[in-house]
Amino acid sequence: MYRHIDNSIGWLAKAMALLGGTVLIALIAMTCISIIGRTLVPLGLSPVKGDFEWMELGVGFAIFSFLPWAQYARGHARVDLFTPAFGKTMNRMIDLIADLMMFAASSIIAWRLWLGMLDKKSYTETTFILQFPTWIAYAAGLLGAVAFVIVSAFCILRSARNLRGSTSDQY
Amino acid sequence: MTNIEIGLWSFPVLLAIIFLRIPIGLAMLAVGFGGTYIVNGSTLMTMGQLKHLVFGTFSNYSLSIIPLFLLMGQFATLSGMSAGLFKAAEAWLGHRKGGVAMSAIGACAGFGAICGSSLATAATMGQVALPELRRYGYSGPLATGALAAGGTLGILIPPSVILVIYAILTEQNIAKLFAAAFIPGILAAIGYMITIAIYVRIVPESGGVLERKPYGERFRALIAVWPVIVIFLMVVGGIYLGIFTPTEAAAVGAAGTGIVALISRGLTWKKTGEAILTTASSTAMIFLIVLGAGLFNSFLALTQLPQTSAQWVSEQGYSPWFVLTVVLLLYLVFGCVMDSLSMVLLTVPIFFPIMSALDFGLTPTEFGLWFGILVLIVVEVGLITPPVGMNLFVINSMAKDIPISQTFKGTFPFVLADLVRVVLLTMFPALTLGLVWLIY
Amino acid sequence: QDVTLRLHQFLPPVATVPKHILKPWATAVEEASGGKVKIDHFDAMSLGGRPPELMDQARDGVVDISMTVVGYTPGRFPRTEVFELPFMMTDPVGTSLAFWQMVEDDFQSNEYKDLKVLGAWVHGPGVVHTKDGVSKLEDMAGKKMRGPTRVINDMLTELGATPVGMPLPAIPEGLSKGVINGTVIPWEVTPAIKLSELVGKHTEFSGDEALYTATIVLVMNKAKYDALPDDVKAAIDAESGAKLSGFAAKVMYDYDAPGREIAVKNGNEITVLDEAEVARWKEAAQPVIGRWVDDMAKRDIDGQALIDQAKALIAEKSAM
Ligand code: NA
Ligand code: NA
Repeated sequence: MYRHIDNSIGWLAKAMALLGGTVLIALIAMTCISIIGRTLVPLGLSPVKGDFEWMELGVGFAIFSFLPWAQYARGHARVDLFTPAFGKTMNRMIDLIADLMMFAASSIIAWRLWLGMLDKKSYTETTFILQFPTWIAYAAGLLGAVAFVIVSAFCILRSARNLRGSTSDQY
Repeated sequence: MTNIEIGLWSFPVLLAIIFLRIPIGLAMLAVGFGGTYIVNGSTLMTMGQLKHLVFGTFSNYSLSIIPLFLLMGQFATLSGMSAGLFKAAEAWLGHRKGGVAMSAIGACAGFGAICGSSLATAATMGQVALPELRRYGYSGPLATGALAAGGTLGILIPPSVILVIYAILTEQNIAKLFAAAFIPGILAAIGYMITIAIYVRIVPESGGVLERKPYGERFRALIAVWPVIVIFLMVVGGIYLGIFTPTEAAAVGAAGTGIVALISRGLTWKKTGEAILTTASSTAMIFLIVLGAGLFNSFLALTQLPQTSAQWVSEQGYSPWFVLTVVLLLYLVFGCVMDSLSMVLLTVPIFFPIMSALDFGLTPTEFGLWFGILVLIVVEVGLITPPVGMNLFVINSMAKDIPISQTFKGTFPFVLADLVRVVLLTMFPALTLGLVWLIY
Repeated sequence: QDVTLRLHQFLPPVATVPKHILKPWATAVEEASGGKVKIDHFDAMSLGGRPPELMDQARDGVVDISMTVVGYTPGRFPRTEVFELPFMMTDPVGTSLAFWQMVEDDFQSNEYKDLKVLGAWVHGPGVVHTKDGVSKLEDMAGKKMRGPTRVINDMLTELGATPVGMPLPAIPEGLSKGVINGTVIPWEVTPAIKLSELVGKHTEFSGDEALYTATIVLVMNKAKYDALPDDVKAAIDAESGAKLSGFAAKVMYDYDAPGREIAVKNGNEITVLDEAEVARWKEAAQPVIGRWVDDMAKRDIDGQALIDQAKALIAEKSAM
């Protein structure tokens, strides 16, 4: 049962990260096309309209969708200066606390982003150049933010099991 | 407690949480949140901020350069250019005493020119150079020490993620900062090579030499790395010449390295997926820290600590050089245990106002560039100082037979070389600013 | 003192608006309240976030007061945009007093209903700054121009240029990189970004009307304002509103002159378009006004009525 959950969560985190990466690659292509267009204005070409805005919106989406994978793959920077001194149980306890904190943080981030999205929607706010509705960009970010909450919740389970000694994939 | 006291107390609390091995970005978020609550007596401020701060931080045009440089570094790793760089460096330097290790440094410098991160440079060059170094009989300490130090060239030579962060925090021009970093970066590579030359004279049994290569072969090997040269000229040259913005340059560089990787068949579906996942993990890590630092710094601003401490320092009448020395030493001490990015994000908002109020005989722009390069070097030393030095761990994990203590030992001379360079650059700001004056 | 208020804004402390408008205003409020209120200044976004977030920071109580350019939140304050329409502004002080009047009578109860507006003003006449010069309408074609607001970007498109969105501090880098060929901003802002060293040509418009202006507001958290003791409220009210709005516009307009002086001293070329040429620009900008009225109709706002009302008020206030 746990293996099955682990695999599904891992798949979700990976899929979100790959989706974000695909957007990043698309933005790279867009930027190259825009630069070519800008250079060849005399030949009648033109830069991509709102290229800077696409970059901002796209990278914003990508980073939200990278968060679940970093949490699942334990990718966040930590200082493990005292790890050897703490001992096995203490370290697993710290892992659990860190995962609980990350769950709290991810939940608050997703919840506030949701409220921010509702604000932007009710204000009918748009971007400068593209006149792209800001709330849609928030909603896209929410996709990654919610996946981040789900993955963070799973990570609590994972460290709780480690603490009980059910698995031994760390230390 | 006054607000200032709350601000001062937040530092030991933050460090304690970080030393408990809580992710650094998360620790900063928590202390920023808690500190603001203590100052205000409510969570209203932070909760309101979080409605738009996260999206705003993630979709910031200047910061979007970071995932692009990271992806570029991943593509560079897959492109096979690292092996070519090492071969070219070997053709020129391999016949000298300690030449293979010097070649590793040269290749790291070349790779640093197309990669904005230290860890990626250390990991990539380690894979290529470590087996070679061992094959030619280089001792464990020298081989791993040289590669760990060489990895820092990934950040010291532009493009550089840390410089991007510094530029945004202090409102410096990224292109000028990259120009300022250029000569100090070259000096770093030369300093490491001199260190190796001295090392093999003191410990003669630590490494062998290759046979001298004819010049025809040397130039052929050099020409073979033309993609690296082209990409570097496109990215850094494009920024200097004003053809594109730094973010655009990063996108062009990522496209260039991606195409080279594709042609050299390094970019299979599987490898591309792995490159994206690595980029995703490092990007999310960096942005969690940036977000945490954003909340933490807004809390500090609320306590008025940065302004108050800047005022306090200037009222004491200390010599500017004394204050600079203290600040740089603090970075070196914290660098032993802290990660370089979070150090920059945490300390620059405090130290920069203090330092820029002092008179070093430079214009504000010149000071901003010079101080940025000094900070860059001292935080990068942290990557190769025990007990926590990420480059040491990366290289050591590739050499299973070498105990970490041997790697620590081998890195020591390179740390000394770094310190000599910091002193030189502090005493002669022209070394940093010369190229900027020349170009702009 | 009884109340401490936090004022957050995006400009560095040495800029005209914080130094010569917000700080004197805050001191006046503090004195009028007999020391009961203290206003802490947080400049250059030091409390976090980016300029577009300032409006929400005041609304959500992240800070108590914020100063921001209304155009940073495009689409959110549609009625206010009437003052940003091409060739709407004449005298900055008169236009600001008209803007304040319409905020007080109308906008405060609809688009600013979540906020307490303390001041509403516009900056001096917008000037076209370019590298290769604009001496006639046709010169705008193909130029990549940085514009500050949605309406102004639409106007730039209509005039044949390509609008590029970037924050004010990014202008020098954008110019040196060729990402933009020029920008439209008032003279007052030019010294801070050393614009006169980066471009050599400036284009002004003769006649009463300015090419454009941008709207600026000082807003306060509503709940915080409502909860203030009556005497503090009275002190704030006495120093704000029309008094602050007219004062702010005057100060910003006064600081146009030294900005222009730098360009003159630098030997830059300043072209003043004559009335006949300006008439062609006015004609070319007409569709922008038409589109704005249509856009307002979609939001059930009578755009034409707002234009007429604004014009009448500007004329009335400027004559005073
Ligand atoms: Na680099
Ligand atoms: Na270290």
